[in-house]
Amino acid sequence: MSDREKLLKKVRMYHFAVTDAALFLDTHPDCAQALAFYNKYKKLLKEAEDAYEHAYGPLQICSSANDSRWEWVDGPFPWELAANS
Amino acid sequence: MWKYEKKLEYPVRIKRPDPAAAKIIITQFGGPDGELGAAMRYLSQRYTAPTPEVKALLNDIGTEELSHMEMICAIVYQLTRNLTPKEIKASGFDAYFVDHTTGLYPVQASGYPFSADIFQSTGDPIADLSEDMGAEQKARVTYDNILRLVDDPDVRDVIKFLREREIVHFQRFGEALRLVTDRLDAKNFYAYNLSFDVKKA
Repeated sequence: MSDREKLLKKVRMYHFAVTDAALFLDTHPDCAQALAFYNKYKKLLKEAEDAYEHAYGPLQICSSANDSRWEWVDGPFPWELAANS
Repeated sequence: MWKYEKKLEYPVRIKRPDPAAAKIIITQFGGPDGELGAAMRYLSQRYTAPTPEVKALLNDIGTEELSHMEMICAIVYQLTRNLTPKEIKASGFDAYFVDHTTGLYPVQASGYPFSADIFQSTGDPIADLSEDMGAEQKARVTYDNILRLVDDPDVRDVIKFLREREIVHFQRFGEALRLVTDRLDAKNFYAYNLSFDVKKA
């Protein structure tokens, strides 16, 4: 597993925790325990995304911030084998 | 409005192309219980959902289904790379190939193209949420059947993740249905449509 994939694995893991907790919160909007879980992983997700984007380019179009190149067009794209290994 | 995340929800890394498996798995792109139909079903139903919780849930599960459609397409895309005409013929992938080469087009395993006929948006929350629970179970069955037919651990790992999500979504829709029925006439849930009729005092 490449260094890039290791970092992306962290992003995916925290993103999944947040996605799954969000669905639970949709039907339990006042659950303090779920809100604490969500907020904990949201923070970890933000840190992992920042670290990934700093090293390997944008995960969201708005994060494309380089002055010399529009890095959003740079592959690999998510459905390609190279983006997942 | 949507924002694209330049990553898959769960990684797809298939080492060995297998067009025969692609021919089966593509049904979860364009088939009757596939991810495209699921996304369109929930994102269509959300407008007339009766409570904020149900609106949010249909919105968010519909959005997650789009990322599942992307994962299914990634599986099919990776299973059909570097093929020779001989392999295409031998695997039975030729009937799809002649129309689409290796482009992604939403069809059932039988080749029938995606159709909105496979889902409903009734404007009645009990009918819609009951359909949604059934839809999640039907998708789970399709994933069970794919697991019966495909041996490659790289493919099975991703299919197992998607199968788990059907079970979680089923649970959430069950909770949403409960939230809706709690607001209805306890003696007759069907006395009126919470999204259309004004409740009589």
